[in-house]
Amino acid sequence: MRLRFKLKTVFILYFTVSLFGLIYALMQLGQRCDCAERDFAKDHAISRLRGKRHSLLEQTKKLEPTKNPKPPLPTIYVITPTYTRLVQKAELTRLSHTFLLVPQLHWIVVEDSPHKTSLVSDFLSHSGLAFTHLHVATPRERKLQEGDPNWLKPRGVEQRNEGLRWLRETNRNRAEDAVVYFADDDNTYSLQLFEEMRWTQRVSVWPVGLVGGMRYERPVVEQGRVVRFHTGWRPSRPFPLDMAGFAVSLRLVLVNPEARFDGDAPMGFLESSFLQSLVTMEELEPKADMCTKVLVWHTRTEKPKMKREEAMLKQGLGSDPAIEV
Amino acid sequence: LEMPKRRDILAIVLIVLPWTLLITVWHQSAIAPLLAIRKACHHLVKEIFIIPERLAVRRHRLSDDGAEGRHEAGQGADSKEYCSSDKDIVEVVRTEYVYTRPPPWSDVLPTIHVVTPTYSRPVQKAELTRLANTFLHVPNLHWILVEDSQRRTPLVSRLLRETGLNYTHLNVETPRNYKLRGDARDPRIPRGTMQRNLALRWLRETFSPNGTQPGIVYFADDDNTYSLELFEEMRSTRKVSVWPVAFVGGLRYESPKVNAAGKVYGWKTVFDPHRPFAIDMAGFAINLRLILFKPQAYFKLRGVKGGYQESSLLRELVTLNDLEPKAANCTKILVWHTRTEKPVLVNEGKKGFTDPNVEI
Repeated sequence: MRLRFKLKTVFILYFTVSLFGLIYALMQLGQRCDCAERDFAKDHAISRLRGKRHSLLEQTKKLEPTKNPKPPLPTIYVITPTYTRLVQKAELTRLSHTFLLVPQLHWIVVEDSPHKTSLVSDFLSHSGLAFTHLHVATPRERKLQEGDPNWLKPRGVEQRNEGLRWLRETNRNRAEDAVVYFADDDNTYSLQLFEEMRWTQRVSVWPVGLVGGMRYERPVVEQGRVVRFHTGWRPSRPFPLDMAGFAVSLRLVLVNPEARFDGDAPMGFLESSFLQSLVTMEELEPKADMCTKVLVWHTRTEKPKMKREEAMLKQGLGSDPAIEV
Repeated sequence: LEMPKRRDILAIVLIVLPWTLLITVWHQSAIAPLLAIRKACHHLVKEIFIIPERLAVRRHRLSDDGAEGRHEAGQGADSKEYCSSDKDIVEVVRTEYVYTRPPPWSDVLPTIHVVTPTYSRPVQKAELTRLANTFLHVPNLHWILVEDSQRRTPLVSRLLRETGLNYTHLNVETPRNYKLRGDARDPRIPRGTMQRNLALRWLRETFSPNGTQPGIVYFADDDNTYSLELFEEMRSTRKVSVWPVAFVGGLRYESPKVNAAGKVYGWKTVFDPHRPFAIDMAGFAINLRLILFKPQAYFKLRGVKGGYQESSLLRELVTLNDLEPKAANCTKILVWHTRTEKPVLVNEGKKGFTDPNVEI
């Protein structure tokens, strides 16, 4: 009897509690809409992310065939000599934006300096590019002094040779399918240029805009072969080309370990001093639609006028040198 | 004993069943979505990081503390950061470099309308090419290129089409007398003014002030150099934001003066620092809404003293107090006022040595 009584009370208690619990829960469910708003925002974010993921996957599928064809994409090694001056960071910045759009590119930056500068080191590590940072100082007697015209002494010779030396050292045991290109930091390069040079077998050539005192300089092609060069200045040179107008296959560089740029060569013969030992004119591979399109321009950047800065410095009021320009 | 046992079992079942049902329903409705969303978010973030790895692309995080992109370490930590708020999720998507151009359009990021006046000269194609190579990295960028010409040139049309960028191609010719000479009767219109004004007019005709498309307007000349970080800094502009510019005013850089409260109170320049806005064209960006709400604001065409061009527009839009300093309170250089040398074409001679049909 006592038991039954207890059970009955228990049941009644239980049902009452459950009923109140259910009502409470239903009210809670009703209030869920508040959290749902936040959830919708999250849902939107998730669906956007899903969309992005889908498009990225599609891009991967599209790119994989071109990125890893049979054989894989040859690497383009770009050797850029650089030196400290006001516009250096700006030049390297906009150059890196172009290089970031080129697949399988390895940037070899060689500073004209006895040691690596923090400006270039920091810049390269944040650039997002595959890079090698080298440095070699030009000996004093070969360096342009303040007030010297640009053409008086050749520039970047030791740095380019240093880049070649590094390539030969790191590729001692490998035969990588690759191309070497010398890109100065103030020129302008189109993206198509890199695709033209990528499949170079020996040495490929193409026109260069705004060089040699002309709108462009170019090799003249007849029946698929280079027969002569269209240039306004000393066309009798073995290779009257600009540094930006040719690319060399890495294999050729490795097979000719003595080939390098000669700083003592007469003005305008720098490129010839290197190419002479590698190839003859008949062997050149013409690119850029048989050398009829300009895909690279020999632009030069003005030296910024610092008159006011110099005046301020004299008064001890120069701009904060800690702020990197 | 048999009967009570069965009744007991029945009683226990009756007690437990509703509670189980209640707990299941509760779990499904309230808690699970949140957890599921978090899980999905983490999963997707991981995927987005993994895909670029396959493409051998470096992840570049545009943060001020200089942290480099890391793939392996801290992926879990990164996704937690990114999944905690919507803003961070967007951050993930837009700082990835992929070998397609340009980056996919996002529904969340404000569009940056970049107004570039340009004119025909030998270096034009080169300048526009390297500018385009920079813009191809910036998500949600709309390039408004305005030629100083009688009609749109095929060189520019073709270039714009081949880049794949989102663009608008306009043109307006600056009247000849105003372009070259400057005398008292025919005061010179500063170069690019009419072109920039045309772009402003186009924006006002295309977008309505009541529209919901957020946008930022930036005037970018075709020979300057822009870092990618600059565009992310200007994206959060509410009215007008400002930052330092290198190589202007005869200095290493010119900069707004920012006080401890983060407000602009002056200009650190040597050339006429008392101008209302002593800033270069490349040193500020304006929220599109402000342009649309003040439809009378344009760059002044005539009678503008050297260096006062920017002020002629900005003073109609905003006061000094409203300016938002960017680039770490105006202590970092993110844009350089570079100038390209005019190429010396001595060897062309009078008749021209090279084939004029070859485009440079």
